[in-house]
Formats: sequence, C-alpha cells, structure tokens
Amino acid sequence: MSIRLLALIPVAAAISLALSAAVDAVALPLFLDTTGTILATALAGPGVGIATGVVTSAVNTLRNPTFWPFVVVQIIVALYAWVAARAGLFRSFRTAVPAGLGLGVIASVTSTPISYLVFGCTTTGGIALTTALGKALGLPPLGACFFGSFVSDFGDKAVTFALVTSVLHALPRRTAARFPWALRAIGAA
Amino acid sequence: MSRLHPFTLLAIAGSLPALAWILPAPAGGAWAAAVALVLTLTPGARPGFTSVFRTAVLTAAPFWLFLLLLHDVPTTVAIGLRITTMVASFVWLVATLEPARLVEAMVAAGWSASIAYLLAATLSAVPVLKARARRIVEAQRCRGLSPRGGIAARLRALRALALPLVLSALHEVDERALALETRGLVPGIRRTPLAPPPDPALEQATRWALLLGCLAALVWRFVLPRLT
Repeated sequence: MSIRLLALIPVAAAISLALSAAVDAVALPLFLDTTGTILATALAGPGVGIATGVVTSAVNTLRNPTFWPFVVVQIIVALYAWVAARAGLFRSFRTAVPAGLGLGVIASVTSTPISYLVFGCTTTGGIALTTALGKALGLPPLGACFFGSFVSDFGDKAVTFALVTSVLHALPRRTAARFPWALRAIGAA
Repeated sequence: MSRLHPFTLLAIAGSLPALAWILPAPAGGAWAAAVALVLTLTPGARPGFTSVFRTAVLTAAPFWLFLLLLHDVPTTVAIGLRITTMVASFVWLVATLEPARLVEAMVAAGWSASIAYLLAATLSAVPVLKARARRIVEAQRCRGLSPRGGIAARLRALRALALPLVLSALHEVDERALALETRGLVPGIRRTPLAPPPDPALEQATRWALLLGCLAALVWRFVLPRLT
C-alpha cells in the first residue's frame, strides 16, 4: 500500500466520525457513519475501504461500545461500494441514489441479526422506537427488528452515496487522478 | 489500573463481555456486569475522566429502557446485563488506556508501525475535523445558510456543510503522506519504541488465563452439551 493511501485511511475514518456535527446542525435522522468507508473505496479500492471501515468502527467503539459488533456492516459497505465504483455508479445522482438505496437494504439485512442477537434491537433510540412500531404493526420480533434497521439505513445510505458522488465530482481532476479508482468511479476513465 | 500493560487492559475489557454472553443468563451476565462495574469504581482513570461509574451507568441506562419497551422482563434482564457489562468494560477501558501507550506497546510487540499509525492518527484527527465542522457550520450560517425547512432544504444545507469539510480533509492527504515519508514510515519497516510499557510475566500469564477462561467457557457451554 502506498504512503498516500495509508494517509487516506485515518482521514476518511475521521470524516465518518466528524460528519455528525454537520448532521446535528440540520437536525436530520441520519448517521452518515459510512461516508468515509464509501469514499475511501471509491477513491482507492476495497482494501483501503475495508481498512477505513474497521478503523472507523474501532475508534467509534471507544466512544460507544455498541458499535464494534457492526464492523461486519462496514466491511459489507466497502465491498458494495467497490462494486458500485467499478460499475461507475458514482457518475451522477441518478445512478448513485438507487445504488445507495440498494446498499440500505443490504446494510439492514446484515445489521438485523447483530442488532437482534446482541442488543435485542436496542442499538439506538430511533431503531428501538421503529422496532416497537413494527411490533405494534404485528410483525414478528425479527421482522420488527429488520423494519427498525431498514427505516434507519435506507435513506441514510442513499444520502451517503449522493454525498460521496458530490465530493468525487467536486474534487479537482488532478487531485482525483492521484487516487487509483476515483476517475473510474465517476465514469471518467 | 492505568499502569497495567495496555494489552492486559484490552484483555480484561474484551473477556468480560465475552463471558457475559457465553455464560448462562442471568447469573453469568450478573457476575460479569458486577465485575465490570467494580472496575469502573477503581482509581487510576486518566486525567479528564471523572466519575467513570456514573458514565457507565448513564450510558447503559437507555438500553434497559428500550429493552423493557420491546421485551419481557427475563429477556430484558438477560440482554441488559450483557450490554451493561460491555458498556462498563469499554467505558473503563477508555478511561484507563492511554492511546500513546497502546501505540508504544503495539510497536514493541512487533506490530507494523502502519497499524499503530492508523489508530493514533484517527484518534487525533477526529477532534480536529469536528472542530472544523463546527467552524464551517458557523461560517455558513453567517452567509445566510438556513438549516431549517423541509427535507429537501435540509439536505441542501447538509451538502453545503459536508462538502467543504470532506474536501478540505482530502486535500490534507498529500501533506500527511509527505510527512509520513519524511519520517520514514514506509510499510515493512520495524521501528524502535521510545518508552515501551513494562510487560511483567504475571500480566502475560493473566492475559493467557483470560483467553483460556473464555475458551473453556465456550466449550463448557456449547460443545460439551452436544457431546453428552
């Protein structure tokens, strides 16, 4: 791994964790905690993306220990983002947002068993409340847990993909060309 | 406690939640949670980390509330004790473990300096980027950006706040790469730690005992019942 890609990993992980300040300012029910993972993958490929996801989870765990079991989700997100980058799905919002919605489904399918078995679906207040709503609607326990994860992940991942697309297009071409996957991800190579 | 070797602190904080999940509920979880909460009461927290016990209890409390909302009382107690163990162990770990000592210990143990760098650089970059994010929020508000209104307006505001933050962070990558290269942090190079934390034989034995204890509990709980 080159020094530049090594330097990218902590920056991307810190982006994931620092974006909460921007989310708080606009009061939207979003996490954006996979932004750095998706961005690092789109710029530098799956190895850097997975490393970013693992580092993000490790550092986030020091703030809130419930994050560590979800490191698997970060790895799945990196692999999915790599496929999306290879297919050039970051070329416009029209392709990125549906890809993000697809990731939302995959992320909620991956996180549901962890949330159900380890935390009894109580990972965050929002997820617990939507799970309670799912139960009230007559869903079985695992179905209600999936409903809670799905509601929180579906929109979040679409917004994350849109944000990463904005960043990739706003990067000067000369800067983007220093990363091995950036131009291919936006369909420019 | 903070004088213990960083790997010992990690082993204690990792094995307690593992035992809470492996041992039968609720007794196993109760024992593990009790030990973890007692740890939060022991002295030796880093400067700036006061009332570790209170932090652990306040962090774990919402989980109990949500569990009661979703489950019956026995399930709430079983899962709640496990989560409390996990929360208390990690809150104690964060309060006692100095990141710089962990990096020194990792380098001394022969870990790649790159891995140690990733952890230390992220820990130091997060507060810097968070402070920058707050400055960007204030600057954009001064320029008339309103974070209120419908979802579309809020998403536009989010883009205006997030984009400068992410782009400025990415522009730093080259500077960081240059700094790393200057300091000789190339993959595969073994570095010499300046002040490696002492690792007495007793602590090494304790770590092995904790690992073997978790493995024995796993076998006793899940493998032996299938054999008999």
